[in-house]
This record gives sequence, structure tokens and C-alpha cells, in this order.
Amino acid sequence: MSQVIKAPQSTYTGQVVVDPLTRIEGHLRIEAEVENGKIKEARCVGTLFRGLEIILKGRNPFDAPHFTQRTCGVCTYSHSLASTRAVEDAINKPIPANATYLRNLVLSMLYLHDHLVHFYALHALDFVDVVNALQGDPVKAAQIANSISNRKVTPDDYRAVQAKLKAFVDSGQLGPFTNAYFLGNHPAYHLSPELNLIGTADYLAALRVQVKAARAMAVFGAKNPHTQFTVPGGVTNYGALTPERIKEFTDLYKETLTFIEDYYIPDLLAIASQYKECATYGGTRNFMAFGEFPDPGCERDLQKRWLRPGVILDRKIGKVRDMDPNRIAEGVAHSWYVGDKARHPYEGETEPYFTKMGDKDKYSWLKAPRYDGIAVETGPLAQVLVSYAQEHRTIKPMVDKVLGALQIGPEALFSTLGRTAARGIEALAVGQQVETWIKQYQHNITKDQQIVENYEPPKSARGVGFVNAPRGGLSHWIVTDDDARIANFQLVVPTTWNLSPRDAKNVPSACEEALVGTPVADPARPVEILRVVHSFDPCIACAVHVIDGETNQVHKFKVL
Amino acid sequence: MAEPRVLVLGVGNILLCDEGFGVAAVNRLEQDYSWPDNVRLLDGGTLGLFLMPDIMDADLLVVLDVVLGPGAPGTIYLLEGEDLRKSLSFRDSTHQTDLVDTLISCGLAGHRPETFIIGIQPGDWQTLSPELTPELAAKLPEFCAKVVAELARRGITATPRASA
Repeated sequence: MSQVIKAPQSTYTGQVVVDPLTRIEGHLRIEAEVENGKIKEARCVGTLFRGLEIILKGRNPFDAPHFTQRTCGVCTYSHSLASTRAVEDAINKPIPANATYLRNLVLSMLYLHDHLVHFYALHALDFVDVVNALQGDPVKAAQIANSISNRKVTPDDYRAVQAKLKAFVDSGQLGPFTNAYFLGNHPAYHLSPELNLIGTADYLAALRVQVKAARAMAVFGAKNPHTQFTVPGGVTNYGALTPERIKEFTDLYKETLTFIEDYYIPDLLAIASQYKECATYGGTRNFMAFGEFPDPGCERDLQKRWLRPGVILDRKIGKVRDMDPNRIAEGVAHSWYVGDKARHPYEGETEPYFTKMGDKDKYSWLKAPRYDGIAVETGPLAQVLVSYAQEHRTIKPMVDKVLGALQIGPEALFSTLGRTAARGIEALAVGQQVETWIKQYQHNITKDQQIVENYEPPKSARGVGFVNAPRGGLSHWIVTDDDARIANFQLVVPTTWNLSPRDAKNVPSACEEALVGTPVADPARPVEILRVVHSFDPCIACAVHVIDGETNQVHKFKVL
Repeated sequence: MAEPRVLVLGVGNILLCDEGFGVAAVNRLEQDYSWPDNVRLLDGGTLGLFLMPDIMDADLLVVLDVVLGPGAPGTIYLLEGEDLRKSLSFRDSTHQTDLVDTLISCGLAGHRPETFIIGIQPGDWQTLSPELTPELAAKLPEFCAKVVAELARRGITATPRASA
């Protein structure tokens, strides 16, 4: 029985603002009212305006994937797939089986890449004190690492990491660790120096492995970033039919999966076992998953997906409801847009109306999507809970195993720790399924080489594309006019579900709810807020990234 | 001595006016010049860590981007060496990590190429539109010529295409 460490407490009362919240995609501000060391209420503020819908109007529907995948630097493929499926839904015709196989394979690599990078590069620094790793005993660390997994590491491996880390810290150029909350010790960080050393070593290893996952996507995706192979009607990557490409993909995928099995999951369990207080806060009540990885020939039938869709209300795992797309509506009562009534995405409007930053009434550039009027959480935890409740063959035993290893019950899943564990479970489950999909695909192309159907852009049609992206339920909604041009296009993205502002009934979003009750030990370095918010893997897709030379340092610009 | 592997990387968001200038520039360079085999041109969009595979495969990295400096819109800057290391940040980056952090991560992961940035002062980088502002669009040929000249100083020769 591992010892449960009590979360450090404070008696602080007042406001805590985190802006910008780093190590996420995009720009986010969190405003929290703290009372006696615990968060009483919170607001998530999306600080960048997105209005992609505005520039899509009047364009050819087939161009939508190229535009939508540029909204963001990480979920590019999820967006291009959602747009493609939306257009295909409007066309209402099937696509070749091979297209679904290849889309699934690329999407599965996105899952592995995204979850791996999220755990190590974005989330681990909320738990792992990198500087303290310098105090770790390499011999003890190697013993621990080899005892928790199949990896074979030596004390020298860890000595090398310490040497590299020391040079890095001494250089004064901390890069990703700049302003990290663990600098100068923090009471809420409490891994042993050895676990900090293992975590840091694997942070570095993960940087190398994620390169393989990104390459695997490019092998079938023509290129990555911004894959170029999905078109309404199928895919265009004829190279993916060759044995050379399939082998290249398979090798890269296996290397990534091995890392997930031998490093990511054991590290997740080792770190989680030391942070069990994170199983007591950060939970929500309602969950929605779109399901993913369609059976070939059933690209748009949500019921024919390897992970099935579903909705869970009020934590009632015994009662999974069907996900009904007609119950989705977006409100803007507390967002910087004109309007007051919640609208279905087909009728969605995007008319900006900014008041001021720090306003308590209208306070975010995100709209407030709701399912049947209810604020739901989406993402790995929602999908894993739905699949667990449906007794999914792969997911259920994995969840039971993780709960057993951590000696916690299913109720602990409704927390920051549960959300983080679910992401690992989802990565492992999808990763282990890829081999089956590759085999099925290889078998299929011995008799069928078709990868695309040529269709015309649809006139006067409506369609929706559902993708259960690594970050959660993503949907694109398209309406076309009689010239087959885009009349309306709405994107409802996972982070909008999770981090939206309050709705017209003043009900907070999933993340706003999850923050309530979260302890804040040090108001100047509210790492607990980061733990909760990062566990949602937010992505405020908007992608502005100007190099800003106006920093505090004296700087000479050389004009060419 | 093998030839250095060169990556010319245009970054930015093509949906936000001048924000997409780096991507427009790399596309123009590909269209107007023929390049030796050791040079790769890449539209890097708005990515962070996803660019690591390509960056780590290069010995020399040339980043084309918009830069907020002291000059008027259209001013072209060269940033190299310590300039890059110490005093750049990305405002409102949607990268998981900004480009400088990505370079640091490449170093941590094993290989960080020599890097310089050729940047241009944007006019409008906030309005949602897939078009450059007219004054920056007019600067594209001059900007590309400067990229080519800067590479020529390092012994990397691009040849203008007849059609350009």
C-alpha cells in the first residue's frame, strides 16, 4: 500500500488569475475566486477570437478541410477529417473501405502522438520537479525503473541525463521550463528525487519518440504538419498501397507503442501512486463521447465504430444514453458574440461583440455548447467511461487493471487523476489495436485497391462530421446553397465543450466545475490549477504566432 | 565533407492576413527558383513539436516568419545566433511550445541545427483573412531575393526559374 500524501493546504482567500496559462495549445486565462485555500468559483476565458466560419462562407465545400486544418497547430488532421466527413455526409454516399482503413491508421498515430506529448511535454511538469532530479541517486532510480516495467536502463543512463540536465540548467536558458512552478521548491511537488529523475529522463526520451509518431503520420498522410491526403470521397495517398510504405509505417508505429507500454503507462502509474490527492478533486458529472475508428464501409455510422459513442449523466455509469446530434446547441449568453438564444450548429451565427477583459458577464471568445442543455465533459475520460460502461473488450479490463494497480475504486475516475489515467488507457488501447487494423488493411488491398470515389460538391445539402479527436468530441457542420457553395459552416471543438463560459442558465462548463474545490497551496504558483486545466488537454485553436522582439532584453534588430 | 542539409521553413497561419507571410514566402521560393538536392523547402504552418522530425534532420535551418520589431510594416530583419537564443518570445502562440522552445527541445532530444530567421514586420496579423495585406504581398519578391542572397553567402545556390 503506497502512502497517501496529504495535499498541502493554505488559508489564502482572494482572486488568483493565471494568464496566459502555458503548456497548452493557444491562449487561455483562468480566473479563480479562492476561499480559505480552496477554489470557490472559476471562469475559463478563451482570449483569442476565432471566426473561421466567416471566411468559409461562399467557398467550395471541398476547400473546407484545407482551411479548417489551419486553425490549429496540433489537431490539424482531426479538423481536416471532421470537415471531410461533414462534406461526405452532405453528399450522402459511401467511400471505399481502404479510405477508412488509412484514415483510422493516421488518426490512431495522432492519438499516440498527442497523448504521449501531452503526458510528458505538457502535463508532467505539473508533477515532476526537473531540477530536483539532479539530487536523484542513479543506481536507485535504475532499480526502480527496471522494477516497474520491461525497460532495461542502467545507472549510467541516468548519470548522462543528469549531466545533460545540469548543463542545461547552468546555461540559464530554461526554454520549456522557464517560470515553471517547481523552481525554488514547491510544497505541492512531492516525488522522490529518483522518481523526478526517471520522469525527467523519460521527458527527454519522449521528445525523441514523438518524432517517430509524427513521422508515421507523414508516411501515410503525404506530409505532416497539415496532412494532405483526405478528400471528400476517400484518400489520395496511393503510396500507402505499397509494401515499402506499409513497412515504414509499421516500424514507426511499433517503436511508439513499445514506448507507451514500457515507459508512458508505468510512469503514469508510478507518478499517480504518489499523487493520490489528485483523485479527490477536479471531477465533473456529465460526459459525452462520439466514438471513433469506423468499420470500413461505415465511415459515417456512429454505431459502427470500434469505440462507441454515448452520453453519461450524473455519473450514472450503469446507464449510457445514445448520443443524439439534434440535442447539441451552442449558447453565447456569456460569450463575446451577439445573440442570446442557444442555436443548433446548422443555424449557428458568429457575430463578435467584445465588451472588456475581466468582465464577469460576457467574458470569453468561446461559445457555450451544451448537450440537451447540459454542460458535458468530452475527451479521453468521457470515451473511456462510456466504453467501460459498455463493457468494451479492450477498455474494460485495462481500466480494472489500472484501478487495481492504484488501489482505488471506479469513483476515483471522476477526478484529475482519473482524467489523466484515462488518457493513458486510451493511448494504450488504440495503440494495441493498430496491429489488427494494419493486418485487415493489408488483407483488403490484396483484392481491392480503390481508395477514392469522385463526387461533386453537394447542392442545397446539410451534413455533419463527427470525430472523437484525442482531445474529445469534435464536430463540423456544413450547409450548402443551390450553387453548391458553403452557406454556413460551424466548428464545435472539444475545448469549447470543456472550457466554455457559463450558459444562459449560469451553469459553468466542465472545467469551470472541475476547478471548484481544488486546493491552492501557494496563490503565487497555483500548480493545482494547472493540474486540473492541463488534464483536459485544452486547445484554444486560433494559431497566431508572431515572433515578438519586444522583450525586456536589449535587442538589436539587423535590418536586411 | 558532405553537403549540409538545409531546411527552409515557412511558418505562420495563412488564415490571419500577414501571419501567413512565411508560408507564402516558402511557396514562392519553391515556385520561382530551382534548388539543389540538399535543400528542402517546407510549409510548417503553425506547428511546434510536430516540426521536430524535419528540424532534427537539418544541419542548417532557415525560418521565414513575421517578426514584431521596431520597423515599419514590410521591414525585413535577419535574426541569428544569440539574438535568437535570448530575446524572442512568441505572442499568442498556439504552439504547444513556441519555435524557440521547439529548437531547445531539439537540442535536448539530440540535435539542434544552426538557425537563422529572416522575418518581416507585419501590417495586419489579426484580421481573419487568407490574403496578405497589399503592402506585404508586394514585398514577397524582394523578401525571397534576400533569402536567396543570404543562402548564397553561405554557399547555397538557388537558380531563378525561366518562367518566374
